[in-house]
Amino acid sequence: MDRRKFIKCLGCTAAAAAASQTDFLPRALGGLQNAYAFSYTEKLSKVEARFYKKLEEGGIECGLCPRHCRITDLERGYCGVRENRDDVYYTLVYGLPCALNIDPIEKKPLFHFHPGTTAFSLATAGCNVNCKCCQNWDISQSRPEQTKNIDMPPKDVIDICRERKIPTIAYTYSEPVIFYEYMSDIAELGHKHDIKSVMITGGYIEKEPLAELIPRLDAIKVDLKAIRTDYYRDYVDGELQPVLDGLVQMKKAGIWLELVYLVIPTLNDSDAEFKELARWIKTNLGSDVPVHFSRFHPQYLLKNLPMTPEATLQRAHDISKAEGLDFVYLGNLPGHPAESTYCPGCGEILIERRGYRVAPRNLKGNRCGSCDREIPGRF
Amino acid sequence: MVPLYIICMSRVVVVKYSGNADNKFLDKKQYRRLLETALGKLARDADYKTYIMQRFPKGAVGMKTNCLAAFNPTLSPLIDALSELITKNSKIDNNDLIVWERTNKELKRAGYKLNASSFGRRYLGTDSSGVGYDDSQFYSAGKVDSMVTRILTRMVDHNINLGVLKHHSIAGMSAGMKNMYGAVHNPNKYHGNNCSPFTADINNLEPIKSKHRLTVIDAVRVQYDKGPGFNSKYMGYYNGLVLSENPVAADSVALMILDHLRRENGLPQLAATSQKVKYLEAAEKIGLGTANIKSIDLQVAVVASDGTTSTGDLF
Repeated sequence: MDRRKFIKCLGCTAAAAAASQTDFLPRALGGLQNAYAFSYTEKLSKVEARFYKKLEEGGIECGLCPRHCRITDLERGYCGVRENRDDVYYTLVYGLPCALNIDPIEKKPLFHFHPGTTAFSLATAGCNVNCKCCQNWDISQSRPEQTKNIDMPPKDVIDICRERKIPTIAYTYSEPVIFYEYMSDIAELGHKHDIKSVMITGGYIEKEPLAELIPRLDAIKVDLKAIRTDYYRDYVDGELQPVLDGLVQMKKAGIWLELVYLVIPTLNDSDAEFKELARWIKTNLGSDVPVHFSRFHPQYLLKNLPMTPEATLQRAHDISKAEGLDFVYLGNLPGHPAESTYCPGCGEILIERRGYRVAPRNLKGNRCGSCDREIPGRF
Repeated sequence: MVPLYIICMSRVVVVKYSGNADNKFLDKKQYRRLLETALGKLARDADYKTYIMQRFPKGAVGMKTNCLAAFNPTLSPLIDALSELITKNSKIDNNDLIVWERTNKELKRAGYKLNASSFGRRYLGTDSSGVGYDDSQFYSAGKVDSMVTRILTRMVDHNINLGVLKHHSIAGMSAGMKNMYGAVHNPNKYHGNNCSPFTADINNLEPIKSKHRLTVIDAVRVQYDKGPGFNSKYMGYYNGLVLSENPVAADSVALMILDHLRRENGLPQLAATSQKVKYLEAAEKIGLGTANIKSIDLQVAVVASDGTTSTGDLF
């Protein structure tokens, strides 16, 4: 891709966005609409994938995610972006993002990770699950031939971040696990230039690749879709247990972790589930892991359900707090008090949020300015 | 007089070419003889010309190829022969015949020249400019939720499934029904549990089911193992075509042929392996057709090199 063109394009949108800057943070720049100025490529990559084994009877078995797809010649894995050619497994999306944006880090959402900063956000086509509520289904449920892709090798991503002084790269929108090699190489290169990397994921990944990836990342946000196995089977086309195991692995590895739980009316919104979820988090991850309960909007294959009522989200919040979680947030409810961060010790407001506007109030470094309690996160 | 229960049974015609001792590729003329014979048998009391006229009275006809394996695709002489039969015996113009595939790349790789113009037979991938998947709605059937190619939803009135019989290491077999994976935008989501019930459900999607008119499975050269990618070491020769209006019945007979070739080459029947073809039973369960060989009116014909036709055995 022509990097000059890309930067020029971002510059134009930056100017346009400057007029509508908020108090603390510029609005998100770029996005797919801007990508039309980029030079697209119809070529797919042919970079050998990691984490697979050749089978004696022919074909390969992918070991990247718990699905363990067995793939014969010319076929692809469930993700649609990794293909067997003569029993060599290739990633087809290395260096080929189909979505680019500069987002507030709060949009991920990561509330305890350098609040008020931006993240260069990117995604390729493909996903290793199929959530019926997916908001980015048009890229996540597509094969790379069906999306408009930009030729952007890892070095170009880093160059853009350096020139525009963007501190973090977010692998997001679709499912970064399926573009593992691309993400891993960008993150490694980024660390050499003091650029951080965060993964926004469903957490459906095998232990070994996760273990190798964690040192290259600085934070992970996991969408825990539900705490029931049948929900994962019926609405995600995946399994719950590997996600829970992955969360424990992340926590043990010491990487900064936040969770999102999308509350869908009638599907995962009972008191019992909220209680079970909070108890599992407290027991296995600790009470200091931020949990975001997010409002559902009808889309993709769940257009028959209504938007989540605010009262349901409030219920999730109250139950989780009562169960002992320290940082419980409500998402997609701009202006709600539960968007802000409060000290679990004295209740003082530490970071005030309204949508993507962020105002530090009483946070001194990583401590409460009022009671000096340490606030977990990366500040 | 033909008993009523026979008339009600799904008819599958297997037509074999006996003049191919060298196991060469068949040419257009040879394919045409096979098709004339087979379509005549499908017509029951009529001839192939009447059958074509009744089955494809007017409108646009799609022909879904199988070009996944570039060295073992749906072959051009078969398409040419079938196209000629249709245009000569119906009101359908050559430009209303659309030979289609998932991508232009696959068509080109198999040796076809793309043509989206208003002259001549059209050759289109779903990724052709102005085609794409129909994003106006998701079609659902059983465990499948997919967008379907606009070629099926908007461009054609009838569809002929031109599958190639071969082994498939996940589904067990690729013949007619598996070929329709190329009609949906997310085929990679549907390979679990030996592609079952997904293969059945895909064929039960409204645009696919309602426009299906005929399955023609090329079983002249059959890769009996290590498919669906091409592997010449496992190429067997049956020298025949399988035709039926019923997609499940056609695949059920195709499976017998595939198993026969495997047996001849010292390999186990697919049902005895982890690659059991499960989707046929699933398809029968949802009423898509019959998978029970006893319920199929199987007709086998043999065409000699001089064009004479006789009845024959499946093996």
